[in-house]
Amino acid sequence: MIDCDVHCAPASIDALTPYLSDYWRQYIEGAAVHLHGLVLAYPPGAPTSASDRARGFPAPAVPASYDALKERVLDETDADLVVLNCLTALEAHRNPYYAAALATAVNDWVRDEFLERDERLRASIAVSIAAPEDAVAEIERRAEDPRYVQVLLPVRSELPWGHRSNHPIFAAAARHDLAVGLHAWGRPGQAPTPSGFTTTYLEDYVANQTIAQSQLISLVCEGVFDSHPDLRVVLIECGFAWLAPLLWRFEKDWKSIWREVPWVKQPPSEYVYRHFRATTAPAHLPRDQHAIRQLVEMVDVGRLLAYASDYPHDHGDGLSLLLAELDDEGRGAVLSTNAAELYGRATPGRSATAR
Amino acid sequence: MSETIELSTPDGTESERAVRLIDCDVHAQPTPPMLMPYLSTRARRYVERYGRRAPSEPHTYPRVRGGGVRLDAWPDKPGHWPGSDPEKLCSQLLDEWDVDYAVLEALTSLDCYDQPEVAVEFARATNDWVAEEWLDFDDRLRAAIVVPHDYAELAVAEIERRATDPRFVAVLMPGSAQEQLGSRRYWPVYEAASARRLPIAFHTGGFMRHHGAGPPSSYLAYHANISCVMQSQLASMVASGMFAALPNVRVILTECGVSWVTSLRWSLDAAWELMGADHPQLERRPSEYIRDHVWFTTQPFEEPADPTHLLYAIEQAQLADRLLFATDYPHWDFDSPAQALPRAMSPELRSAILYGNALDLFGFPPFRSEPTPDQAP
Repeated sequence: MIDCDVHCAPASIDALTPYLSDYWRQYIEGAAVHLHGLVLAYPPGAPTSASDRARGFPAPAVPASYDALKERVLDETDADLVVLNCLTALEAHRNPYYAAALATAVNDWVRDEFLERDERLRASIAVSIAAPEDAVAEIERRAEDPRYVQVLLPVRSELPWGHRSNHPIFAAAARHDLAVGLHAWGRPGQAPTPSGFTTTYLEDYVANQTIAQSQLISLVCEGVFDSHPDLRVVLIECGFAWLAPLLWRFEKDWKSIWREVPWVKQPPSEYVYRHFRATTAPAHLPRDQHAIRQLVEMVDVGRLLAYASDYPHDHGDGLSLLLAELDDEGRGAVLSTNAAELYGRATPGRSATAR
Repeated sequence: MSETIELSTPDGTESERAVRLIDCDVHAQPTPPMLMPYLSTRARRYVERYGRRAPSEPHTYPRVRGGGVRLDAWPDKPGHWPGSDPEKLCSQLLDEWDVDYAVLEALTSLDCYDQPEVAVEFARATNDWVAEEWLDFDDRLRAAIVVPHDYAELAVAEIERRATDPRFVAVLMPGSAQEQLGSRRYWPVYEAASARRLPIAFHTGGFMRHHGAGPPSSYLAYHANISCVMQSQLASMVASGMFAALPNVRVILTECGVSWVTSLRWSLDAAWELMGADHPQLERRPSEYIRDHVWFTTQPFEEPADPTHLLYAIEQAQLADRLLFATDYPHWDFDSPAQALPRAMSPELRSAILYGNALDLFGFPPFRSEPTPDQAP
């Protein structure tokens, strides 16, 4: 079993300063730079930011040390491997040099604090979201370390991830057989949704699932998978129940408008099921097993989904409703084998199916 | 006019026919010179000198082939374009498909950034043009009221000006504006519409400069994304408490797809279960507000490989009495009345979508009098 999304984050910038140069240490001290803990994405008091169990431990809810992670997650889990997603690099402001330095420091900290201390741990590579060339440099810096299994990008972006200016990131990931994870939330400072600035957290929270749809469209339309036929993209904390209607529309459009994108050679659904995976959290599903059975008929969840506890976040109990409608093979795929294939380089002796 | 109409009976009583097809999204689109006679001298001079304001240059967006219209919809008359000629539209759409009623939505003010004095004149001019050139031309035509939506008090005044004409059957709003459509800024417009029992038709398009994922690079990505914009707008309308505050509001989401609402209902309900206590404006589950207040036009109807999946979506989102058939004439992605609804659909559901739901929503009479010869143009 593999848990595809467990969070960790430094409790303060002090944890990262040992990995930053004198220039940045002075900058941080002089400008009172601090980490805000992604308070807009995960307000500490919001029920979604931490499960009841996670709230039973001292704050912060996101494990900030190996001991906290061990006690809260590793000692309890059935997972053989846990993929750590540290979102701290999303706190980078508009200074691209700071964004690059912060991402490097985050990766060093995750390595020293966690990866070095437990063989079950794997991690995503934090990268600058300010300049693709810096993201590529960071990928190259980590690629030789097999404990890094994925490049981590936020699902919210200023340019769609499929935009050609971002292609070097996907090329670097493909070159090193790394998955690319698009994780909920991301770039602040512009309207976070396709309808504008939100006034409630509830809209913001749900919008991650909408924005993931836009990224999926972008990645297919701009030919990323035609350039990199083995590339895997993982939608993390972005839901999945929306997939079928999106493909019905997207595919109808493609049949009419394909001349505009001749490099898109197959129907969009073929790209999606070959190249995309989604984590199981959130599984926002109704308490209506009939509807869930219909969903399972419409979305090939046995192929698409990979289990994630998303510790310490709480999205309700939809996953158990979904698993109840899967046969043993489907359950095994969702809980174990899909992630093993996805993160092939994480499991010695196994290789990614894409290879 | 149609070749198939029955003339009035010899004793002069009009024959009646049962309504069988209502098209809820048809575009009457004036060429710029057509509106000029309806503008004041001052507004006309301003527009002739400076043009209208838009948030960016007109060619910022990836372009669609053929201007986004059916090539066979171009009128043979000089000075016209698709949707500007009532005769062409009535013969190519209403007569050819035997449409009983068609709701015209003129997209002249979906982008609304002109100064208020100009914006209100454009809305008024469009409505005048629609009334005189279209509604007076053919009694199968109805229209949505064009409003300068970003200036709520001016929009309300335009609604009140038109609402006495029963041929205006809805209020037209964009699917995207500078602020989210749940914003209280727009509530006076919604309130005025619902006070007049007019549904509010939110039509895809408008501002379209907000992007959670950044601006799309191709028309395909843009078009496939349209449902994402409306998902986010519907979340805004629900989360703002608009439906709770204005219980008589009826909303038609137009040209943005349909089936996506199932998973949006699920995720909003799940979020409400987790956080509803902190959102007192939501007295009920989000899905209940959507169920009670929201209608959808069908075009462009989703086309799953297995058509029964579309029926699942309609069942899951309780849409059987909420779907309104639309062709989107004269645009390129016209849904044909003969082919858009899958054969797997029951006759009852098909009738509801083709005309029954629209009869109920708009309150159209279920029988239509055949035109007498002197009414024909």
